[in-house]
Amino acid sequence: MRSIFGLFGKSPFGPLAQHTERVHDTVVLVRPLFEAFTAGDWDQTAEIYGRISKLEHKADLIKNDIRDHLPKSLFLPVDRGDILLFLREQDKIADAAEDLGVLVTMRRTPTPEPMKAGVLELVDSVVRTSEAWFEAARELPTLEEASFTGPEVDKILRLINEVADLEWEADKRQAEVSKRLFDHEAEIGPVSVMFWMNIFRVLGAVANHAENTADLLRVMLAKR
Amino acid sequence: MSVGVIILVVALIGGLYMAWMIGANDVANAMGTSVGSGALTLLAAIALAAVLEFAGAVLLGSSVTETISKGIVEISLFEATGPWGEDGPVLLALGMLCALLGSAVWLHLATHLGLPVSTTHSIVGAVVGVGVVSFGFRGVAWGEMGRIVASWVVSPVMGGLLAYLSFLAIRQGILRSADPIAATKRFAPYLVAVTTAVMVLSFIYKALKNRWEAPPVLLAVGAAAGVGVVVGVLAGAFLRNSTTARFTNPYDYVERMFALLQIATACFVAFAHGANDVANAVGPLAAVVSLYRTGYAEVATTVGVPFWILVLGGGGIVLGLATLGYKVIATIGREITEITPTRGFCAEFGAATTVLVASSLGLPISTTHTLVGGVIGVGFAQGIGALNLSMVRNIVRSWIATVPVAAGVSALLFVLARAIFL
Repeated sequence: MRSIFGLFGKSPFGPLAQHTERVHDTVVLVRPLFEAFTAGDWDQTAEIYGRISKLEHKADLIKNDIRDHLPKSLFLPVDRGDILLFLREQDKIADAAEDLGVLVTMRRTPTPEPMKAGVLELVDSVVRTSEAWFEAARELPTLEEASFTGPEVDKILRLINEVADLEWEADKRQAEVSKRLFDHEAEIGPVSVMFWMNIFRVLGAVANHAENTADLLRVMLAKR
Repeated sequence: MSVGVIILVVALIGGLYMAWMIGANDVANAMGTSVGSGALTLLAAIALAAVLEFAGAVLLGSSVTETISKGIVEISLFEATGPWGEDGPVLLALGMLCALLGSAVWLHLATHLGLPVSTTHSIVGAVVGVGVVSFGFRGVAWGEMGRIVASWVVSPVMGGLLAYLSFLAIRQGILRSADPIAATKRFAPYLVAVTTAVMVLSFIYKALKNRWEAPPVLLAVGAAAGVGVVVGVLAGAFLRNSTTARFTNPYDYVERMFALLQIATACFVAFAHGANDVANAVGPLAAVVSLYRTGYAEVATTVGVPFWILVLGGGGIVLGLATLGYKVIATIGREITEITPTRGFCAEFGAATTVLVASSLGLPISTTHTLVGGVIGVGFAQGIGALNLSMVRNIVRSWIATVPVAAGVSALLFVLARAIFL
């Protein structure tokens, strides 16, 4: 039984915020993952990777559901293409987090003792960037309530700028810690060095995708 | 049992069936947005709608159905001196009976398919069918039909435009403000005043039109403005004293306050609907009753509606609400959380105002059509998370289908009835 209320499609903004939450759940586990990995606790590393993998799958399900419910016949307050791009980019954050899990469980790569603090600092920097993205993206339903206007927009734009600053910091840390890695070339061997380079690259990708996601949010807000 | 009594009994059943379908198809429109936005619980909405629809129908439902069939068919052609001679009045009674059944059947189908069609257009279409069968195409007032077709465009566009503008006003005045709570306290009393004035005017011109032929314009406008200002001032005092501390999200406060306004507009729509649309069921029925009383000898161009018929009509509407309309509202309450009180208020305000303006211009517009336009208007003002445009296509098709389908069904019934009874 329908009625004139069949006019109302399913708003994508609530589910988008749910997707944000699930993706954030995966990012939250990156720090414990690296604590276990750098300590050489392989069981713990594998266990956390399993959890990330499950959460990433949950995020995927929400992503597919949003796409299924976003036909072209819907009239939305923001550009449909922007929503889909945002969703894709946000999903890549979780993909990168899962990739990290894959990398650290693929090979028992040792961490040189002097590197540990630097690695965890880089991890924290990446997670901080993602947290700022999370603060901005979780506001989408409130933004809808506010009809994409007013103080909500200013608040989110401030958060988006913060994401960009934090990502820039994460980039710098990544460069530093990568450089220091080669001091330990002889100690851990070339394969481990290359492996670490890969890990750093994917860590950086988490922050990059967080920044891109935030930028797409900015695009949505700028088109009015 | 004589033929006359059979016609009367079937007409009573037909009238009740039509009222039942009016309740089923329309009533959800008045209350649905309030349930969807969480302003009212399902039970409260049903109770309010039942009381207001019934009160509107019984207290203000047409005491005189002028030119029974809304000026669509030339009634005098059915007189005993007309082309059908002695059979004329019986034929008219049969025609009204078939119009009731035909339009009710179409409404039943539309309700079942979830299509929000106009009950007014449905009965008009059904009467057209009867007119064409009786006198060919010259029996129908095509000018009136032209106005109906025009209303398909005019009513949703105007409802949409008003809803669009009122949401833009709320957006600029409240949602965009740095402090939405303070802005609500400052800005909402004006909205309350304007809404109240529109309701009072609408009440005078639409709901009271059957009792009070031509109210002086100055008096009506003056009364509306006066009541609007008083209610606006009271609303201002209420908002100033409202507690805001527990709202961490300022928009929750805004929506909470608009919920009250939305309930008021929804109640008004329900009351006005009862007052107006009950005529679609009881008008033709009253015509048959009047013909029965004269022993099917005289045709009156205006027919008084006995109180018991209004009670029957109002009761039928409540029955429709309680059986089928209830399900529609329940579905809305469960599935539609996308509409919030600010948006619902704008859609209802646009619809109520359009109904007022159009009915004072004598346009046969449908509350349903204007409400659909209102919802789309709010959507275009970026107020709705997702507007289902494919549904718009279905709805417009069903609007266009209403007159011919209702005409076809009632014409078919009429041809059959004529073969049986004459």
